[in-house]
Amino acid sequence: MATTPVYIICSPRPLVGKTLIARQLSEFLLLKNGDVAAFDVNLKEPSLLEYLPAITETADVDKTYGKMALMDRLIVNDSIAKVIDLGFHVFDEFFKMSEEIGFMKEAARRGVAPVILFVADTDRVSARGYETLRQQIPRNALVTIDNEHVVRGELPDSMAQGRILRIAALPAFLKTYVDRLTFSFTGYLRHEKDSSTELHQWIRRNYLSFRELELSLILQRS
Amino acid sequence: MAKPVVIVVGADKGGVGKTTVSRTLLDYFSANNVPTRAFDTESPRGTLMRFHPDITEIVDMTTTSDQMKIFDTLNAASPSVTVIDVRAGLLSPALASLRDIGFLDAAKSGQITFAVFHILGPSIASLDEIAETANFMVGAKYFLVKNFINDTQFFQWDQATYNSYFHRIKDATELTIPKLNEMAYEQVEVASVPFLKFVANKGTHDEAANYSFVLRGYVRHWLANVWSEFDRIKLTDLVGSGKPGARSGEK
Repeated sequence: MATTPVYIICSPRPLVGKTLIARQLSEFLLLKNGDVAAFDVNLKEPSLLEYLPAITETADVDKTYGKMALMDRLIVNDSIAKVIDLGFHVFDEFFKMSEEIGFMKEAARRGVAPVILFVADTDRVSARGYETLRQQIPRNALVTIDNEHVVRGELPDSMAQGRILRIAALPAFLKTYVDRLTFSFTGYLRHEKDSSTELHQWIRRNYLSFRELELSLILQRS
Repeated sequence: MAKPVVIVVGADKGGVGKTTVSRTLLDYFSANNVPTRAFDTESPRGTLMRFHPDITEIVDMTTTSDQMKIFDTLNAASPSVTVIDVRAGLLSPALASLRDIGFLDAAKSGQITFAVFHILGPSIASLDEIAETANFMVGAKYFLVKNFINDTQFFQWDQATYNSYFHRIKDATELTIPKLNEMAYEQVEVASVPFLKFVANKGTHDEAANYSFVLRGYVRHWLANVWSEFDRIKLTDLVGSGKPGARSGEK
């Protein structure tokens, strides 16, 4: 049976582009598979729920009940890819819990493939967060996102060792444009006839990166 | 087989988690392939009985017939370990009756291995019991169990008072049971199965169950911590079985 990917987008820092990446990845998976389940664990920042209300559920991990509601869904191999937008304030709590309950091992046993997408930043909190993940997450399940808009080409050495996914920076006016609640990446690709625009190319490049990430996951397992 | 082993789990107060500790002991021995039987003195309705019905019998420690049931079968019965869950308030009387039937002398002379798990409550009253029970404890292994499972605050104790009691008992070993997530604990209660079966997602009769993965994870993590405490005090050496480590169910 095929494995079900679970993408967890996380960073212990606010405003590094987690939700932007979660949005794009969700739209990409929706376009490709026709189905995706997104979870918004992000009650303080601009969040995924506002952008993609049709496919997003909120979740919280403060209380045990919330943890059960979320994790018991994630651990099911139902062939629906999951995307989790993990807010910075729950970073520690989430990974502490997942270590305690043995999430990675149980996932492997059940045919679920968690992929941790760590959005890098150059500060100390990020370095510490990355170190936590490195100890806990198998090497090939941990991907560093090099968001040019945040890192500005100076990805810390420690994070440059593993797998990396690069997101190019957008000019300010395009950034405001994609940050609109009504903006849809797939919708833009469909409706914009001129495929040479910068935004068009940027979205396609990112979709291509996601596609490669997915392929490499399939290859790893076969 | 080695000498018969008797483990008494008790406290003079209710609600300090005697049965929980007894349950972890039974799970521990079953995972280490040590044949075990248990007696629940909470007659007529035993909590331990509910979780481990196959190996548990309900007895009344104060009656002679039930004392015979427990102690006359020590050598005959095939299980090498006997766990006795003593009801709240009965620890000192139970130990006294053990002394009266000569059981403590047998332990002293080494015919029987005798261990007491004394579950501590959070108040000074339970320290007085330590002094009381200490009188019986020559020749027994004495374990003082600090049970954090229901969030007890032991630090409220005055350290000096605490030490003065503790040093009264020679060779007492301290043991800590960590806290288990309340919801996970509750769910195991509801399911009425041994912790091990809960972790393995099984029902009372080994049928597949559907417990929450998160709660199972918490229980597994907690149980591993409790067992590492048992490993630390070399419980399996005490009962004369093989080394710890090669047990099933723990991954």
